[in-house]
Parts: sequence; C-alpha cells; structure tokens
Amino acid sequence: MRYVLILLVSIGNLCHAQIPDGFTPLFNGKNLKGWHVSRSTHQGTTPNFHLEEGAIVASQQPYGQGGLLMTDQTFRDFELYLEIKIDSFANGGIFLRSNEGGSAYQVELVLPGGTGDLVGERIPVSVPAEAKDREKVWKAGDWNSFRIRMTGEIPHITLWINGVEMWDVIQTKNDFIAGATEGMIALQCHWTAVYSPAASKGMPLSSWRPGATHRYRNIAIKKL
Amino acid sequence: MSTINKITIAFALIMLIANRLSAQEKKTYVNSIGIEFIEIQPGSMVVGKFQPTTTKFGFIEQYMTKESGDMGIPVLPDSDYALSEELSKRDALPGFTVTISKSYYIGTFEVTQAQWKKVMGTNPSFFQEGKVSNADQHPIESVTWNDVQAFIKKLNKLEKGKAIYRLPTEFEWEYAARAGATDDISWSEINASAQIAKLTTQPIGQKKPNAWGLYDMLGNVWEWVDDYYNEKIFADPVPPKKGKEHVLKGAPFYGDVKNATYMTHAGGPGSKYDVGFRLLMELVESGKPKAESR
Repeated sequence: MRYVLILLVSIGNLCHAQIPDGFTPLFNGKNLKGWHVSRSTHQGTTPNFHLEEGAIVASQQPYGQGGLLMTDQTFRDFELYLEIKIDSFANGGIFLRSNEGGSAYQVELVLPGGTGDLVGERIPVSVPAEAKDREKVWKAGDWNSFRIRMTGEIPHITLWINGVEMWDVIQTKNDFIAGATEGMIALQCHWTAVYSPAASKGMPLSSWRPGATHRYRNIAIKKL
Repeated sequence: MSTINKITIAFALIMLIANRLSAQEKKTYVNSIGIEFIEIQPGSMVVGKFQPTTTKFGFIEQYMTKESGDMGIPVLPDSDYALSEELSKRDALPGFTVTISKSYYIGTFEVTQAQWKKVMGTNPSFFQEGKVSNADQHPIESVTWNDVQAFIKKLNKLEKGKAIYRLPTEFEWEYAARAGATDDISWSEINASAQIAKLTTQPIGQKKPNAWGLYDMLGNVWEWVDDYYNEKIFADPVPPKKGKEHVLKGAPFYGDVKNATYMTHAGGPGSKYDVGFRLLMELVESGKPKAESR
C-alpha cells in the first residue's frame, strides 16, 4: 500500500511542473503567507483569493468587485516563474513593480483576448508588446507556465510562455509613477460592477464572467 | 391671525431657510496658517448602500450604435446575465443612516506642502519643486497617520484659544464630500471634480468644487480620516476601536472613476506619495470649544 501511495505521489509530482533551479518559492502552497490584499486599488478591496488543491484561486467578492493579491516584498531586477490556469471571459493579469494602489506594468491574462500582452495599469507603457505566437504554445483549459524577466531603471522585459520566448522589449523611459525602480508582484481579479447605477453601468460582464476563477501555482522568483 | 401676519411669518420662515442654505455655501474661516475652512451644517446620510450594476456591455453601451454593433465585446450565454442579476441581489446592501448632529468646519482644500512647511518646518513630500511646478500648492503627501497627528498637535498649540483641529471621522468626511447627494456620484461628475488618471499630484483647487464648495474631495491624494479600517467593503455603523490601519477616503491622482467616489472605503498604508489629508476644525468661543471635541 505504501509503495502505491509513493508511486501516486510521484506521478502527481511529475504532472506538476517544477519550479526552475535557482528560484525561491513566493507561495508555500499551504496559505497566503507573504501576500496581502491591496486596500487601496480601484479593482476592489475585498476580493476572494483562497487556496484549492495547493493553488491560489482568484474570484470576485462581493459580486462585481475584484482586487489584487500582492507580495509583501518589493522586487527590482528579477525573474518570475508561475503557472496559470484561467477561465475564459475573466480579465486578470500579472502586475510587475506594482505600487500598493495597483499602478503597474501588467502581463494580461484574458481569453479570448491578449493573454501575454504587456500593458499598463494606471500608467502608460512606452513600448507595449504582444504575444503574437501565444496560441502556438498554449494549452487550452490547462496549466500554462509564464516566466518574466525584468531588469533596469528603464525596464528591459522578456516573457516566455511554456518555455518559448514571446517578446523581449526595452522601454524608452521609466514609465512608473515617481520613477519607481521596484515594486510588488500582484495578481489581478477584474471588477465589473460599480456601487450604484447612479455612477455608471460599470464594465461589460465579460470582463469577469459570474463565478469565473483564475488559478496560480508554483510561484517563484529569482532576484537578479 | 390676519392674512398679512401669516404672509409675514411665511416670508420670515423662507428667509430663515434661505439663510441657512447660503450659510452652508458661504460660512468660511481662514486660520493663522492660511488654511481655509467651510462650515458644514448638521444632517443625515445613508452610508454603504450597495446596488451592484448588472449590464451586458457596461459603460461601453453608450458608444454602441447600429453600425458599430457589439464593438467586439463578447456576448455571454443568457444564463450568465441571469446569474449576475441573482448575485447582485444576493450581495446588495441597504446601507445605514448616519446622523451628523453638530456643525463643524472642514478644510476647503487638502493641506498643502506650503502649509505643512509653515507648521512643521519640513516637507516629506515626494512631488517637490523640480518634480512638479508650483509644489507649494500641491497637497502634502508621504505622511503617515501618526505624522498627521504630530502636525495637528503642533497646529493646536499655534492656534490655542482660537480653534481645535483634528482629522475628520470617516462619516464627517463622507457627509462633507457628498454635499447632500443621496446616491453615488456619476462618472461625468467625477471627471469634472476629481484629479484622477494623472501621473503626479496636482495643485489644489483646479477642478470643480462639490455642491458645498469643497475642492478635491475626490482624487489628487488619498485622505487620512480618524477611524481604524475594518477590512470590509464599507464602514460599519460603529467604527472598530482597534485596527492595523486607518481608513483612506477620496482616491489618488492616478485613481479611476471606479474608486473616485465618496462611497469608497479604502485602508492604509497606500503608496506613500499618494496619501495626504484635510483637517476638521472646531471654533473656540470664549475659551470653550463651540462644538464638543471627541
């Protein structure tokens, strides 16, 4: 019986892609130690980031309110590795060098749409980037790995999806508020509803389909 | 009672009400540092009423024409829209009534770098001269809640016998920011009155004031208030006695129409350069505060 169990665990580990050599885990797979929810982002301040089967699951809470889960630490020059499984019609993203209010560079996570594109959140991006070849390597409805390298005061950023380089861009200036050269890694769950119809009609429902989730696992970093 | 007397009494009543209304707009006070205040009259408001919106295409609907069609916005199965209605009803909150029983004075503007320098002799702001122009008229930022308490302590010494200063409570702040509005503020009104979608702080008083003459209640810098943060979407009727952080109101200069509303109930620490404050003042008359200090 014990051998069967060991065998099963081994198979399980083989199915889970592993953190690359030289990387330090940012997520322990057991709780959200080392992470916090932003209390000052417009996405929402009460999102439901919780754990299921060793992965972080992002969903709205209450209805229509998203949010950001951020690392407690800030990072300047780094390589980030993580695995992602996303529902369609749910707009999230990996925020890079984010401030507490969620102003950051963002690698988009949205299907259908520009998953893997480099966009700005509350700041412009001097040199945006598109992951044009993403579909060639994408595993639909499954886990996909992202590796992001970011260095320099004027950022130089490279993205690999499932080990294949999607783009490599050098910005023409530092776009960050206050010329920031470091910030937090954050995971985004998009908002859809405003507090009252008196404000506006909010976002299209397809920005985060009711009940949709994004999942993240094997999150690790290498400081450069 | 004669008809003439009745008309006279009615006229007097109308004048009384009109005076009260104009007092709401006009009764101001400038202290020795040059900080201007507006008197806020008592009243009530509903806080934390949550009526989450449910539409197919959201704000983009207003740009849709017959020619443009759905503009590439994905259409979900009908069951998703039905579910959104259900979840919206499930999570809606009726809010609660808050009564402000005493008048108070609140800063017409956020406290500026020049005013902070006058009182403290220092300037912790990130966006100083060189990074922005006319920095003296930009709001003070990069101040913690405790830094603000030190400022208030010093200002209270300087103004002893004339006025007592403190941070507004969240409800005093929101009541002044709403300026009589019962529902949420519209996005067009936010764009007219709030410094948002910017990359630096902005000089105070550049946008449209609210109905009671207060500037930059929304946008420019987050504003510290007196209360501890409850880690919830909206305030509780009674704020917590303890907490890790204090409440932030008003949204920052890089904020969005989504959160630049007086309903937003955020929490510290913020991002340093996006956090400032405005003051509440109680006038002292014949040695005693006019309104009771908390």
